[in-house]
Amino acid sequence: MTVRNDEALAVAPPRAIAALLGFAARIPWKRIGIVVGAYAACFVAFAAFSAWQGGNPLTLVQTMLNSSMLNGDALVQTLLRAVPIGFAALAAAIPARAGLVNVGGEGQLILGAVAATGTGLALGSQVPGPLALVATAAAGAIAGAVWAGISAAARVWLGTSESVTSLLMNFVANDIMLFLIYQPWKDPAGSGQPQSRPLPGSVRLGTLFGGQLNIAVFVLFAVAIGMWLVIRRTGWGFALRVVGGNPEAARRNGLPIKSLLLSSMLAGGALAGLGGALNLMGVEGQLQPGVTTTFGYIGFLACFLGRNDPIKATLAALLFSAIALSGNGLQLVEGLDGSIVNVLLGAIVLTMLAIGRKNGERI
Amino acid sequence: MNIVGEVLTTAIPGSVALLYPSLGELISERSGVTNLGTEGAMLAGALSGVAVTIATGNPWLGVLASLVAGAACGALHAGAVVWRRANQLASGLVVWFLALGVTSVLGSPLNGQVIDPLPAVRIPGLADIPGVGPALFDQNPLVYLAYVAVPALWFFITYTRPGLTLRATGERPAVVFASGSHPSVIRFAAVTVGSALAGLGGAQLSIGIVGNWSDDMTNGYGFVAVAVVIFARWSPIGVLIGSYLFGAALAVSSVVQANGIAVNQYLLDALPYAITIVVLVIVSGFGRSNAPESQRDALSETQ
Repeated sequence: MTVRNDEALAVAPPRAIAALLGFAARIPWKRIGIVVGAYAACFVAFAAFSAWQGGNPLTLVQTMLNSSMLNGDALVQTLLRAVPIGFAALAAAIPARAGLVNVGGEGQLILGAVAATGTGLALGSQVPGPLALVATAAAGAIAGAVWAGISAAARVWLGTSESVTSLLMNFVANDIMLFLIYQPWKDPAGSGQPQSRPLPGSVRLGTLFGGQLNIAVFVLFAVAIGMWLVIRRTGWGFALRVVGGNPEAARRNGLPIKSLLLSSMLAGGALAGLGGALNLMGVEGQLQPGVTTTFGYIGFLACFLGRNDPIKATLAALLFSAIALSGNGLQLVEGLDGSIVNVLLGAIVLTMLAIGRKNGERI
Repeated sequence: MNIVGEVLTTAIPGSVALLYPSLGELISERSGVTNLGTEGAMLAGALSGVAVTIATGNPWLGVLASLVAGAACGALHAGAVVWRRANQLASGLVVWFLALGVTSVLGSPLNGQVIDPLPAVRIPGLADIPGVGPALFDQNPLVYLAYVAVPALWFFITYTRPGLTLRATGERPAVVFASGSHPSVIRFAAVTVGSALAGLGGAQLSIGIVGNWSDDMTNGYGFVAVAVVIFARWSPIGVLIGSYLFGAALAVSSVVQANGIAVNQYLLDALPYAITIVVLVIVSGFGRSNAPESQRDALSETQ
């Protein structure tokens, strides 16, 4: 017995080291180096651009972190803003599995917010709280799905490129919202501001932990994990990947391609619509111009950075949310133009695009 | 002035601002690269046009700058797509996003600064045609250049050797390679030149029409250009028709507003985009697409 134990002891350390070495060898160090280097290069380029614009490159990172992560309030704001961006990212990620490009996240977010406003204002005081809450969020999801469904239907039955139609429909959606808040839905008590009446309290998301945080961000995380499971573990998710990966194989195997394409886009649109609704119910409280301010596009880029994977896309959305939010800090502290963060966002995605190939994989 | 003349006078310059990016997109797509960065190139062109005009006092240097700025955006997109084989749609959107950020930052000091737009040059004789004369022949030189650009591009891609190579690159890059040209080089050049034209379209907006810079002033024109090329079925003549259709829709809405007819402004604003989408859907419903072969993947037209 003792001999055996000694043997085991004598053998164990080298094995552990070998395992560690094996693990270390499996980590793609070169790849990590390239990615880290690319992010660093983006920040350096961004710092240089900011310095040119009169910012201080030495305090830049500190300011950005302070205004997005390093204190409780800022972190909460980052999480709140991640909701529309994250849902828009998921809205692009699901159709992307089937090979569809949904660039319409912006419009779907807007219409989600519009439908939620209409439903919330109509139901708010008449229907019991939880029901009104669910109906409002559902209305947003349905509106987003319908808006995305138009592009999907044109694609499936008429062969129109869904990327172009969904992109152009963003502009139509924005004009619809502006029309509503400038005329029929204009708040009479809004002192002339183009905005809808505020949602009644019964359809507002309550705040958690005594701060501004609400449940929407947890819904986002749950949906992201759910979508990850749906894509990995269900027949529908698998069929989507087949259609996206090899349409010919899907056709020959008798997969219902049209309904798969349609359903993926409808699901994506519903997610974006839900995001728009939750953002309205949680943060905005009323419809007003710039209720989305390019969150839909940022979400598309986040989806791209996350390689169409729901969880990675959501994490990318968190990163982008933090970057987008740090624009406020740059404006207040460094006196830079707030939209300078779009430069950083664009630079990061462009760089990742340029280095984004791994084993010939294209995203 | 009668209402038709009024619509035309507004429509022509606006259409030209869309015509240039559409022609640019056409060149790019004929080589096999979709460029959603057209919108970004227009923004860059619009801003640099105004900035250089303010700095030098010469609007023609502004026009030149807009070409260069547009080309720079195109080179960025082409670099990612051709050299690094990145996803075309994503890369185009990123280029737009980058241009949106950069122009918004660099342009903020210029907000509200007014410059003299390019002067109209009246063509004697033709401009006196009743009705359409002033609308067509009393415009700035960029508008006249556009009249020439469409037939010139049509002739170039239909009847010249380089035009044939350009088309072949979009259809069968392997054949082009076998015949001794480099598809990558041709694509890079096509995207860059196309984007330069998009920059010119931006200049037509900023220094040709309104005479100032405002944030995000292109308002989706570059994306509409992509749609125009599709429903033009990749032909310059179709692009001409598509651009003028969009321009007319745009002009109708602004003339309706100017005449105080009570229709909501924002519904009218949506009209050009809605018309573009509807026409695009209808046109693509008829028959086989004649998109360049390598474009069918990019626009996910495979089924």
